[in-house]
Amino acid sequence: MDINLRITGAAGQGMQTAADLVGKALARAGLHVFIHQDIESRIRGGVNFSQLRCADHPVSAPRDRVDVLISLSEPSLRAYGPAVAEGGLVFSTVPVETAGCPRCAPFFLSELAKAAGNEKTVSTVAAAVAASVLGLPDPLLDTLVEERFGASEKLADVNRRALALARGAMNDAGLAGRFALPTAPATDRLFVSGANAVALGALAGGCTFMAAYPMSPATGIMTTLSELTHEAGCWVEQAEDEIAAINMVAGASYAGARSMTATSGGGFALMTEGVSLLGMIECPAVIVIAQRPGPATGLPTRTAQGDLRLALHAGHGRFARVILAPRTIAEAFDLTARAFDLAERWQIPVFVLTDQLLQDGQTLIDRPEVGPVVRHVLTAAEAAALPAYERYAYTDDGVSPMALPGTSRHLVCVDSDEHDPRGHLIEDAPTSRAMCEKRLRKVATVEAAAPAPECTPHDPALPLVVSWGSTSPVVAEALTALGTGGPRFNHLQLTQLWPLPDLRAVPAFRDCARLILVEHCAGDGLDGLLAQTQLRAPDRCILKLDGRPFTVEELTARLAEEDSHG
Amino acid sequence: MADPTLQDYKNDVPNAWCPGCGNFGILQVLQKALVTLGLPPERVLLCSGIGQAPKIVHYLNANAFDGLHGRELSSAQAAKLVADDLTVIVHSGDGGAYGEGGNHFLHAMRRNVDVTHVVHDNHIYGLTKGQASPTTDQGQKVAVHPDGVAALPMNPLALAISQSCPFVAQSLSSQGDHLLDILCQAIRHPGFSYVNVLQPCVSWDPIHTYAYYQKHCYRLDASHDPTDQGAALRVALAHDGRIPLGVLYHNDRPALRAITEPGCADLRDCPDRPARLARVFDRFR
Ligand SMILES: Cc1ncc(C[n+]2csc(CCOP(=O)(O)OP(=O)(O)O)c2C)c(N)n1
Ligand code: SF4
Ligand SMILES: [Mg+2]
Repeated sequence: MDINLRITGAAGQGMQTAADLVGKALARAGLHVFIHQDIESRIRGGVNFSQLRCADHPVSAPRDRVDVLISLSEPSLRAYGPAVAEGGLVFSTVPVETAGCPRCAPFFLSELAKAAGNEKTVSTVAAAVAASVLGLPDPLLDTLVEERFGASEKLADVNRRALALARGAMNDAGLAGRFALPTAPATDRLFVSGANAVALGALAGGCTFMAAYPMSPATGIMTTLSELTHEAGCWVEQAEDEIAAINMVAGASYAGARSMTATSGGGFALMTEGVSLLGMIECPAVIVIAQRPGPATGLPTRTAQGDLRLALHAGHGRFARVILAPRTIAEAFDLTARAFDLAERWQIPVFVLTDQLLQDGQTLIDRPEVGPVVRHVLTAAEAAALPAYERYAYTDDGVSPMALPGTSRHLVCVDSDEHDPRGHLIEDAPTSRAMCEKRLRKVATVEAAAPAPECTPHDPALPLVVSWGSTSPVVAEALTALGTGGPRFNHLQLTQLWPLPDLRAVPAFRDCARLILVEHCAGDGLDGLLAQTQLRAPDRCILKLDGRPFTVEELTARLAEEDSHG
Repeated sequence: MADPTLQDYKNDVPNAWCPGCGNFGILQVLQKALVTLGLPPERVLLCSGIGQAPKIVHYLNANAFDGLHGRELSSAQAAKLVADDLTVIVHSGDGGAYGEGGNHFLHAMRRNVDVTHVVHDNHIYGLTKGQASPTTDQGQKVAVHPDGVAALPMNPLALAISQSCPFVAQSLSSQGDHLLDILCQAIRHPGFSYVNVLQPCVSWDPIHTYAYYQKHCYRLDASHDPTDQGAALRVALAHDGRIPLGVLYHNDRPALRAITEPGCADLRDCPDRPARLARVFDRFR
């Protein structure tokens, strides 16, 4: 059972506060939520929404059908009021003739806020209305409002009044519990955004240095980390530009910190020479690309999956890299932590591709189990025990032991020029070839470790749908909807996009008569990569060009069409 | 441990500079400075980018990070933030420092990480065969500018002083005693220190020769107060055909690492992550 609740209004009206309060209340009621943000690239005004899919089971996909609309502005009401589903409810701040708004509740949020003593409490009113309509126990929101506003008795007081007035109005109108969800015992879940999850995953992965330049939708990662530095132990440097950021990451990594940067496609384009530096000096680094539509500035606050090839081909010369793409906010935590391990194990750049849907989205994740960070660098004692040390010693797997400068008597030299095993620049042909071969051995090492993809095969005769990143849960839910009368598609979900495993070893891929790719971009992404590496181009690509996330309804319809055309 | 000697700083990497190049003087003095300061090679990190000057980091025994053209300051600052126990010295050409990496230079002065930035200023792009650099004289005929450079040269000393760069000095590659004193002061300075070293390029610049500098340079004396920003700016902007050598300006702004608490003393080894994270997670309930 799930209820889709859209809080809409102008930027700066407190939609985020309301969504946060409801999200946390759902967590404490043992329920689940997936929130996604539809926002314009502006600070005040406009028509934005926070949409909360509230459910009694985990959800990770946006839905179109709106059950409850909470509108904080007249333009928002005009934009989204008519879309509310039959049997749905609308709560509004402005008096609109009942005729113009058949589903409007008979009271106005702004008046309740005014009556509470402060118009700004409208976000608390909105949260109270949402909690009431979902049938959440009152004490949950009471506590959350105390936690949020308790520091000022005056603020706490007006917000308490706002809660009481909103609940009174809901009861009088007979709307309390109209879309009640069955509450369950509270579990120890965390309410996080995708950006939070990446930041927390980075800390779990041992990150102690981040350098970045703000760019939507990546900025939330550095914001989160900056707020946690003292508690977690991490340096966050706001660089003067993305070029500085990636070169700082290289310097910090060389010096011995697990390091990262995060940006979006445009900022990452500036980093490409730095990526090549990481390849040449064999330097661990984690690079998060939070994708948004391009080219150029594109749609700054919208979502896309268009930077796969950019991440793959950024940087001249051949060297090993890994590209990971989490499907959900929970997976963003896991894969970011894993990225740090892989980066240091192989001394390579590891990319984490997220997107605006994931970054700005919010959900509840189980409290992660975090173990001690296992390092893959030489300890001071291990380095000291070596009779001699060469940073680029030739090895079978192409990975040379990494010592940290200043931790032993051995010197650590690295060079963006071609170099000898000691790290000093060279020109001669034999050393050039030997060093290149060492890097190629590392490429092979990383390729051999590519994990098998997750595939739900039903019957090899069925068409296969391939997806990656945040699109996968939407596809999965659409396929579930389509499969009520028996499965109609197989589904292969990739979380590592480079190196790709040999998909021809997967029967559902090898044997499928029809291959369908769902990818949130304008094409020339994974389709070409499948053709190049697996010798199998998709028969059909379901793409998305408008920067809005795929929704369950949309993919259900578009995949149903594929089925009948198949 | 025995005091470091010049021998400790020698290595066998073949040198690729032109015979007679001003870079040799800087190399010799750098080794002397490190010995004078009693620093063992493993505690020293030399950072550089690409160009003739940046190759210096290969020609002596120390830790070396030879990164991208113009990006050396970025990597160096981060390395110092992480490994605060290293002495970090950055060597750039004038092209890397003021051209390709100009933005990083501006922000290194603001940020004030305790690294020393030595710019080998030969007024030319040496490695790419003699094109104009940001400090090439107006009207000087060089590659790509057969009719002479039209743009005004940058005045990096005045720029640095105007930005309250914590330590601003100039020296000359052929005045070893002066350069040694300046480098030692710069490295000792607890914050970002910047030294512009005039360095004749015998292959591409027939104007700024050793003799030219010998004739036009003068040493700042005790009458100059390096804590007086206005006086320093007047020296840097004099336009009287004379070239000042010495410490033009310094202030005592605390270095970034001294005023920022990163949550663990050593960013290379931040203990107790699981316990710290358990507390962090509680913020998201
Ligand atoms: C991104 C990039 N652009 C251009 C170059 C080519 N390049 C190498 S060194 C250099 C300029 C060298 O001048 P300078 O920094 O003054 O050093 P010098 O050789 O004079 O010591 C240029 C343009 C490069 N290596 N990287
Ligand atoms: S080109 Fe000029 S600066 Fe470079 S090594 Fe030769 S003389 Fe020195
Ligand atoms: Mg030069």
